[in-house]
Amino acid sequence: MSEFLRSGHGILFMKVGKHAKESLEDIVARKRREIDEAGFALWGYGGNTCHPATMVRPFAEERALLGESITLCMEPMDSKHDAPPVRATEYSTNGVDWVQIPKAINSVGSRFALFLSDLSEVDFELPLSGTEVAIGPREGRSGHQYIQHRVDKACLIVRDRATILNDARQDKIVKIGLTATLMPPYAAFLRGEE
Amino acid sequence: MSEINLKNAMNTISDVIQNRPRALREFDQIYMKAGDMMMQSEFVARWAKNKHLCFIGDGDAISVCVALLDRRKDVPYGPSKITVLDFDERIVNAINTFAEKEKIGHLDARLYNVLEKLPDDLDTYDCFYTNPPWGQYNDGTSVSAFVDRGIEAVSNIGEGLIVIGDDPEALWTHNVLAKVQTRSLAKGFYVARMQPELHLYHLDDAPDLKSCNLLVRSLGSNKEVRESLPIDDPEVLHNFYGRLQVPRVRYVREVPRLNRDKATEYEYTLELLEDEACRNFYAPDTAFYS
Repeated sequence: MSEFLRSGHGILFMKVGKHAKESLEDIVARKRREIDEAGFALWGYGGNTCHPATMVRPFAEERALLGESITLCMEPMDSKHDAPPVRATEYSTNGVDWVQIPKAINSVGSRFALFLSDLSEVDFELPLSGTEVAIGPREGRSGHQYIQHRVDKACLIVRDRATILNDARQDKIVKIGLTATLMPPYAAFLRGEE
Repeated sequence: MSEINLKNAMNTISDVIQNRPRALREFDQIYMKAGDMMMQSEFVARWAKNKHLCFIGDGDAISVCVALLDRRKDVPYGPSKITVLDFDERIVNAINTFAEKEKIGHLDARLYNVLEKLPDDLDTYDCFYTNPPWGQYNDGTSVSAFVDRGIEAVSNIGEGLIVIGDDPEALWTHNVLAKVQTRSLAKGFYVARMQPELHLYHLDDAPDLKSCNLLVRSLGSNKEVRESLPIDDPEVLHNFYGRLQVPRVRYVREVPRLNRDKATEYEYTLELLEDEACRNFYAPDTAFYS
């Protein structure tokens, strides 16, 4: 396990792949350019399991009060995602106040986004039984039990010790290929020209 | 449950769901699943038979289900009057428009934020129903805020049906249940009945999380009184809609548009047939579309 995945560290796990007709390799290259030019990148996502206002931001802000950052851990996967490449033009952290997205930043085909200050290619395995859900109705549930069926992303805390399993095959060990550090305001709603 | 025609009743629930605005997760609008709505609506219709029932918030549209099941005689009973108070104008408009279309004269909805005192002109009801934000991160104070309004709506005498989390694995639901029961008793309402682990929701991150029916009833010694005050205590507002989620919005306003129940034009474009004859036939300015 990577050194930053120490006990108590906050991570946001998600699966990533082709998105809005763009390959993962192209997305990573583009996001790195955006970080170089604008100082940050927006990493788009969807679904309701890591809602920006009710999950990611409260989680990240609480960790920040402890002097901790959140590490986004991404598992590359084959994806058939073919969302239309509609560019977001504004973001909002609260759904009320909207901010223009700088021209250097392109987030397409997503309704939520994470704010990244860096993006690294890595290669390590993350046993989800060593994590637990950090926030939400299933707070405290082991990561390997939480990530299943339609749930493919989660706000997690690394546990002191992995969940004791009757059968090691019950664990879910995910291969992390990309990591990033979340930076304030951590997560936002997006909207574009529709 | 009395004998009902399940197919007809489910189709009635389906009509209600079709009319419901999309849920806003940031305000804890998380909709109950259709089968549970059916069972819940029948129970509410029976529980509040011939009574005046006030809903303190109702994104699920149980109020509409109860009223429509009765209107269509899918169930042979129901409340004689139903009022919904909700801070989402989309929900209020959807209910009132639907009630008018279906000729449900005893159902109405009005815009109201639970943080404000009850409207001065609000009638006194026999019973209340609420499915509030479940209070995971505020020790149940968000639930109590809605329950308190319900108790005010019945002017301290009557019954209430509180729908809140009740899940064997989510221990926070047990703490909130205890707090709400304690609070209700302090207000002069005891737990008359509880139906545990009953309903499921369209909740992506916890699809197996259940809620219960907690039925409270006023003590015989309660006096009829309504004292309703705004809520501005920071302790209550803290984490109201979840961790670090302090309410900022008074009302969710509906953006007016034509054909509210139709797909919006930005959802699709039309790609026309190549054939010349077909293009002429389907041209939008022909009588075919008029």
